Amino acid sequence: MSLSPGAAELSDLLARAADGDAAAFQLFYDRTATKLFGIVLRILVERGEAEDVLQEVYVTVWRKAAAFDPARASPVTWAATIARNRAIDRLRARGNRPSAPLEDAMSVRDERPGADELLATAGEAARLNSALATLEPRHAHAIRSCYFEGVTYEALALREGVPVGTLKSWVRRGLLRLRTELA
Amino acid sequence: MTGPADMSDDMTPDEALALDFALGVLPRAELRAAELRLLSDPAFRAAVEAWQRQLSPLDAETPGVAPPPQLWDRITAEIAPAPVRQAATPARRSLWDNVALWRGFAFAGVAAAVIAIAQVEPPPVPGAPPQILVAALAGADGKPLLSAAYDPLRGAVVLAPATQRDDEGKVAELWVIEGEQPPRSLGVIDIRGPNAHAVPARRLAGLAPGATLAISIEPLGGSPTGQPTGPVVATGKLVPV
Repeated sequence: MSLSPGAAELSDLLARAADGDAAAFQLFYDRTATKLFGIVLRILVERGEAEDVLQEVYVTVWRKAAAFDPARASPVTWAATIARNRAIDRLRARGNRPSAPLEDAMSVRDERPGADELLATAGEAARLNSALATLEPRHAHAIRSCYFEGVTYEALALREGVPVGTLKSWVRRGLLRLRTELA
Repeated sequence: MTGPADMSDDMTPDEALALDFALGVLPRAELRAAELRLLSDPAFRAAVEAWQRQLSPLDAETPGVAPPPQLWDRITAEIAPAPVRQAATPARRSLWDNVALWRGFAFAGVAAAVIAIAQVEPPPVPGAPPQILVAALAGADGKPLLSAAYDPLRGAVVLAPATQRDDEGKVAELWVIEGEQPPRSLGVIDIRGPNAHAVPARRLAGLAPGATLAISIEPLGGSPTGQPTGPVVATGKLVPV
């Protein structure tokens, strides 16, 4: 995997953090925390809970820095994946407490410059979006809801008023088709 | 939504699981089980990472939100090495000072087992966690049956079945074989479903890298003799991650 200059620098910071270099880790935090907090907050909506999770995420990043392999993922994708998984785990731990739909989540946001340029080239995002645009709008919407909100198939099926099997099929078929489009 | 046009019908359960995990739709127990499987199943991990790469450009759409400034201080406080004691203390930080370890105890209430394992592999750098041990248990044919991971933060061995198995009227019992010792039971486990299971910590004392985990099929209630009596369906060595 070829890394952009920003990603190469972040990879280097992670490698130094793995050796116990706290200053390098702080630089990594400074460069990525805004992006990761956005991702966690979008899933959890509640600020206090999102802050707790972000703390867990960076403690995990520090401890697992040695496990990061630039050949397998970009450094921000790697850290963003940890953030999503921690946030989803916290969301599940809430049990059946209803979560606000996406629109409410986004109304609490506090937009600041992100690290988008580090995350993916604009081209990658544009390609994924044009591939999504080839799907049935409801199917593409279901995929986005799953990814951005961390909802289960069951919860989303209930919200959309369709059987779970139907929803799974929309999402999985949609993603397989995306993969073909992007190949 | 069935029929030949439904491509998702063509996915194997593992392919669907990798997609669902990367997308983030799994319920909690399955999420945890999948996370553990990532540690010991490279093919599954590759499938998950392929989806993660495919989906990650979506993150560009999520607006960044600056976390409060004090969050960095909270993170530093959690990862900072404990203050160095008197000169007489060895330079390497003692396990007793390991905040994460004690947090783990408080959380799981299982000090003895955690110490027994964590002391085998002391943290290489200050703030590093105790070593996670994993074992991939496979049958004689090499077919993976389950992944086991010792998770120091939970103070427990967590089992994640890779395939489902239902031996009617029988139960699966987990054993540890340490060197020349006879097998020691870690208890009866449920490997019928995809859930993660925690083995009680009191059974874990002495568990160390190199020990072999084994699963035998026993009558309901577990082995009547204290030694495996039924067929051993899977074995695997505990190794550090």
